[in-house]
Amino acid sequence: MSEMKAHSIDISAMQRSQQTLRIENETPCLTVNNLELFYGDKQALNGIDMIIPEKKVTAFIGPSGCGKSTLLRCFNRMNDLVDTCRITGEINLHDTNIYAKGTEVAELRRRVGMVFQKPNPFPKSIYENVAYGLRIQGINKKRILDETVEWALRSAALWDEVKDRLHESALGMSGGQQQRLVIARTVAVKPEVLLLDEPASALDPISTLKIEELIHELKEEFTIAIVTHNMQQAARVSDYTAFMYMGDLIEFGDTNTLFTNPSKQQTEDYITGRYG
Amino acid sequence: MKELMTHHISQQFNTELEDLRQHFLTMGGVVEKQVSDAIEALLNSNSELAEDVREQDATVNKLDELIDEECTRILAKRQPAASDLRMILSISKAVSELERMGDEAKKIAKFTLSLIEEGESPRGYVEINRIGTMVSRMIHDALDATARLDIDMAIKVAKQDRVVDMEYKTALRSLATYMMEDPRSITRILNVIWVLRSLERIGDYARHVCQHLIYMVKGVDVRHVPAQEIQQEIE
Repeated sequence: MSEMKAHSIDISAMQRSQQTLRIENETPCLTVNNLELFYGDKQALNGIDMIIPEKKVTAFIGPSGCGKSTLLRCFNRMNDLVDTCRITGEINLHDTNIYAKGTEVAELRRRVGMVFQKPNPFPKSIYENVAYGLRIQGINKKRILDETVEWALRSAALWDEVKDRLHESALGMSGGQQQRLVIARTVAVKPEVLLLDEPASALDPISTLKIEELIHELKEEFTIAIVTHNMQQAARVSDYTAFMYMGDLIEFGDTNTLFTNPSKQQTEDYITGRYG
Repeated sequence: MKELMTHHISQQFNTELEDLRQHFLTMGGVVEKQVSDAIEALLNSNSELAEDVREQDATVNKLDELIDEECTRILAKRQPAASDLRMILSISKAVSELERMGDEAKKIAKFTLSLIEEGESPRGYVEINRIGTMVSRMIHDALDATARLDIDMAIKVAKQDRVVDMEYKTALRSLATYMMEDPRSITRILNVIWVLRSLERIGDYARHVCQHLIYMVKGVDVRHVPAQEIQQEIE
């Protein structure tokens, strides 16, 4: 097929850009095996099996309470903070089960960073916000800090906007800038995975587009999993989409296919607005 | 799929999609009538009806514009997905097919008027009658399939197009022989051939409408799949 030519125009490039992604061709970053999660007696996740492919964007969609945020929070054990939460099954980050005994949770959370819906910068300067993660790792050399802060701010598409006021308070930034700052703070410690829980839902449309553009750039270096209520956003930013409903993973596949020709009726109903 | 046409949470979106489908079928009805009128005008040497067919074209063009605009508006405002998206895309394309059928009907009417001017000589009308009947049936079935989202019927229409193509080739051969035997008839027969050509094209467009319908219902693009392989492709 790649040799196909039409009027001496090479259409193979066009075909490549249209190609359907196949999950079986991806390298798994996170592998979820029969994951069940309970809040007290209530089961919130029912035997989830899936992979989060490396250096791709995976979006989770579904109605409120479907378990998508819960699942996302399993990826860096944020649910450990919930007393009544009980988990069975396993999640492997590359080859190690993150729920195995003896897992360093702090180190896990460095490798699997998370950004929340509301931007939560520390009441410190822009510079110190980004340098924070490095400082707690014991890195204090100014040259390394300066380099990493600049790199992280550039990665978060924020550098040009803040380079002249690095030492001003982060709280004086706009919501969209704060969210990108939080992303910079997260990437500064060079995680492998970025978990984004509704990262743009508190932002205006332009800031939202900036975040989406950023996600597109970040996937060059990071594996990204995003939870969003905004289906169009999932369609725009992700390579793979998972549709969840009542704790079940209903459908998981290539985003282009899922949004044009989903295989499950429930998915169809949800993405076309017939859910209910 | 059928119940999918409705049951949106947004009642307004439901109405918009239902309207779009209705408008498409209305336009289909206009074109169906236009084509059968064109054939009738020719077979009965009815120049008044032929004129009427030519005038109908303005209506068809207007509907084409209106429905396409409707599609654009829904795309812009609703960001439809999945079956809704496929429905709008395929209607937008199928509308163009209908419009082209209308153009061909208009051409048939034009040739009819020349044929009437040249006087009686129904040589070639047998073929026009036969192929015309087949093609009218195809339009009817294509619209029926669209109204009922009937894939089996859509495939039947696509297959029928091959029969029309064969009939068309046979007719061309026999008319060529006829022209060789009687060179005085060449001008007339050429007009007859143009009409047959238009009918054959209309058959193609009816097949295209069905192919768009298959995409809409099944999400499989069968535009360049031979009719006899469509079933297999869908499965």
